[in-house]
Amino acid sequence: MKLITGLLAALSVLATPLRAGDGRQFTRATVEAFERLPVQEGGRVKPLASFARFTLLRAAGTATPRDVDGQKLAASEWLLRLVLFPELARNDAVILVEDSQALVAVGLAVDAHEKRDRWSHADIADALPKLLERAHAAQMIDAGQRSPTESVTMRVAESALLVTRLGRSFDFARGRIPLVDATRVALLHPGRDAISVADVLASAEAMHAIERELASTDNARERGAIASVWRFAAELCGDDDVLAWIPPADSLDSKPDWLTPANLVASARRGEPVANEHVDILRAAEDVAARRTDPARLEAATLRLTGLVEELATRRGENGTVRLEAAYHGLGLLAWATGLYVLSFAACSIGWLRTRSVFFHRAAWTASCAATALLLGAITMRCVIRGRPPVSTLYETVLFVTVCAVLVALFVERVQRQRIHQAIAALVGATGLFLARGYELLDGQDTMPNLVAVLDTNFWLATHVTAITLGYSAGLLAAVLGTAYVLIALVRGGSADAARQSALARSVVGVTYFALCFSVVGTILGGIWANESWGRFWGWDPKENGALLICIAQITLIHARRAGFVRDLGTCAAAAFGGTVVAFSWWGVNLLGVGLHSYGFTSGIQTALWTYYVAQWTVVVLASVVWLRRVSRRKSREDAEAVVSAVGA
Amino acid sequence: MRVIGRRAFRVASSLGLACVLFAFLGVLTWLGTLAQVENGLYDVQRKYFESYVLVHDAGGVPIPLPGANLVLSVLAMNLVLGGFVRIRKTRDTFGVLIAHAGIVLLLVAGFVKHHASDDGRVTLFEGQSASWFESDFRWEVVVSEPQGYGSTRENVVPFDSVAQATSASPVVIELPGLPIAIEVREAHVNARVTSPRDDSGPHIAPSARDPGAGRNFPAVRITIAALDGSAREETILSGMHSTPFTTSIGGRRVQLDLRRERHALPFALTLADFRKVDHPRSNMPRSFESDVVVDGQRAVTISMNEPLREGGVVVYQASWGPQGAGPDARLFSTFAVVRNPADRLPIVACAVIALGLVVHFGRKLARATCVRRVTE
Repeated sequence: MKLITGLLAALSVLATPLRAGDGRQFTRATVEAFERLPVQEGGRVKPLASFARFTLLRAAGTATPRDVDGQKLAASEWLLRLVLFPELARNDAVILVEDSQALVAVGLAVDAHEKRDRWSHADIADALPKLLERAHAAQMIDAGQRSPTESVTMRVAESALLVTRLGRSFDFARGRIPLVDATRVALLHPGRDAISVADVLASAEAMHAIERELASTDNARERGAIASVWRFAAELCGDDDVLAWIPPADSLDSKPDWLTPANLVASARRGEPVANEHVDILRAAEDVAARRTDPARLEAATLRLTGLVEELATRRGENGTVRLEAAYHGLGLLAWATGLYVLSFAACSIGWLRTRSVFFHRAAWTASCAATALLLGAITMRCVIRGRPPVSTLYETVLFVTVCAVLVALFVERVQRQRIHQAIAALVGATGLFLARGYELLDGQDTMPNLVAVLDTNFWLATHVTAITLGYSAGLLAAVLGTAYVLIALVRGGSADAARQSALARSVVGVTYFALCFSVVGTILGGIWANESWGRFWGWDPKENGALLICIAQITLIHARRAGFVRDLGTCAAAAFGGTVVAFSWWGVNLLGVGLHSYGFTSGIQTALWTYYVAQWTVVVLASVVWLRRVSRRKSREDAEAVVSAVGA
Repeated sequence: MRVIGRRAFRVASSLGLACVLFAFLGVLTWLGTLAQVENGLYDVQRKYFESYVLVHDAGGVPIPLPGANLVLSVLAMNLVLGGFVRIRKTRDTFGVLIAHAGIVLLLVAGFVKHHASDDGRVTLFEGQSASWFESDFRWEVVVSEPQGYGSTRENVVPFDSVAQATSASPVVIELPGLPIAIEVREAHVNARVTSPRDDSGPHIAPSARDPGAGRNFPAVRITIAALDGSAREETILSGMHSTPFTTSIGGRRVQLDLRRERHALPFALTLADFRKVDHPRSNMPRSFESDVVVDGQRAVTISMNEPLREGGVVVYQASWGPQGAGPDARLFSTFAVVRNPADRLPIVACAVIALGLVVHFGRKLARATCVRRVTE
């Protein structure tokens, strides 16, 4: 336990960024405080670290962009830079343009950029109005009819607009509102010729009292002075829907929506009471903006701001897991696990070359176990953060499928001790986590989103979804094991270790049994859930059909083996084919775009999916080659024996 | 004869037949899944999954295939003969027998659902009541005669029974107790009724059948004639018409309507309030809830995953509207209604199958690990 705690602490230190560049330094504590600032976005309260990460993934296609000097930035650091130093951050290349033709069309010179490249906001700013115009026109076109250039235009415009709006989101803290001399509103702030937005909120009640008094007079100068203050304040606050980071002072039930500075000014303008907590928070934000060039003072100001927001969020019961989520992103457990799996596979490979040494096998085993512990840790953290079972989104299916497949493979290794399963565990672990990373990049959306109403049930998520995902996991592991059997038989031919091959085939059967249990029970539980939600047990929906196909493939394999229609090679080839059935059910049906499981649609994975299909079908063809070779070898042997017996006679 | 019988039994109960049937079921499921992109669920379901034979069009090449009904029927027979009668009854096959029993239960549940259930929808605005629900896909021609005191007597003819009618071969419907007969001279599964400017009268403009079966609106051209030949009248009924056609013929006042097939609810359902709650600062719905009153007495809340079970029917939260309604707008809630005598059977089947699989594969796993230990 101490070892794990120590390891996590070490990982935390290594993973936490410290930035020094452009003459602006953020201390580690500043960035950490900023990372855990609670915000409400996408219907839930999350740390700013999550918002920054997924905003960047969407806009830049990476969570670690480079600044104008080519130095890597962590996501939160980039956002901190953007809100505090927008004049510098506008030169950071964070807008991914997948095809520069989209920018040629709006009159930008693209010579200095690759066809697919990241552009800075400054590069695009001049053409932004035209870009938005074109994006608006493209939006009017049906998604299926849009050209690739139109789609790119829309994405670039969206990213550029988001960067623009985020860059202005701290304008309220920097700007000052001029007061008209010798007016009653100026007398509320004696000795000052300009005030901040926080001052406006603090004096809102007094300003309303003055307005009420002025209502019956025709003092245009006084009325104009007050109106001008409100107008300036509203302009400084900008959009009211960019990022809500101020919790309401009321209870969660009465006011679930968090606020932006623009919301605060608007409600104060309407005469609604201003909470002291909100004035304090805005003053703290103004302090942050004022101290941006002094790292030590900035740290203190950021800590105070985050502390105030956390305090209010905690009072509403909404800050429970925000710090844990920030730590989840900061620790980077999945990245460490990926590295350890790669290391484990490398150790296995060396172990095969040096068969007499057990060191590499032990090292591989230890690395795989450590990686799996990290992966399980990450999944557990996600469960605690979300208050959900391990699988409730497509992204989480990838993590769960990976960890289950690795655990089953390691279990089989413990039982059979053939040293092949631990290599497969490492391979599956690394591949699964690379896929998870790829999906996260491709999707660019929060991986811990709120669930649509029909999925909002922990009972069915814990039973049906978990069972069916375990079925996917075991089905895919059986496919990998079957593939390994076929490839070994193909490469080693008659010299393959018969005992090891037989053990491998037995493990394919065992894992298929395991898969069948969970696939069948998971599929039926899915039907029962559908009956509870939609009123019918089975509706031949594509996702349901996919699950049924997995069951059919596995039942057919088990019955065919029982009947003696297939032996080891046939079983392994069928299991390899079964992998395509699982992939079709897991991802393929989502690409059809029809059915009731509309929350699972995704796009952009066709190439990866077809690559997998073709690879597995190739394995089946190779299995036929092995079979033909065996038949021919057996025939030659029988012919030779016939000749020998004829000569003997 | 006995030899033939024994051989037939051996084939019918064989694992080989089971494998062939699984293969067909797999192919049908796969084809039926892909076909939904072009043809919609309803048509695909009828063609692939509720048929005994079908012809699959593989890029212009017709391929005859057994339908899922046939495959599942033969599979059920194979399961009973092979999985219960022929299988060796030993400790080793105990789990298999249990799992097979669970699958039989599941097939029974499917059979009962297919042959003895009704399903449909009822849409209620807040404050409205209904004691019936209507089918999503099936339509009916209704001839009703007011009986006084607000009651009516209805003669109902399923649309399917007149769907083939043409002016060359009309379908005549005799109505018991009424001195009139109806002749259906034209029927279309999906059509609009248009009224050209040349005063030629309304006529039916057939449309292609929509793959989303619930989006088809049928239309029929009918002639109503008094049985004594004293009067004759022609009209068009459309599923899009919200009010019935009313006429007086043969001395009787009758109403004709083409509407979705209706089924009685065993209670009156009143929608008191509907709520759609979104996650904060997003458009993603967090919950849909309808407060309803059953028979004017019992208040119940129906929400996603929390249906109402009452009097042999289950009422589910299905939809709502009008979409984009303002905060003070009067909302409606649509409920899916199912009457299925085997509603809870799949849960029992699932438990039985899970038990069987755990027993069977648990034994195998225990044996595999024991063998390893003994070998060591």
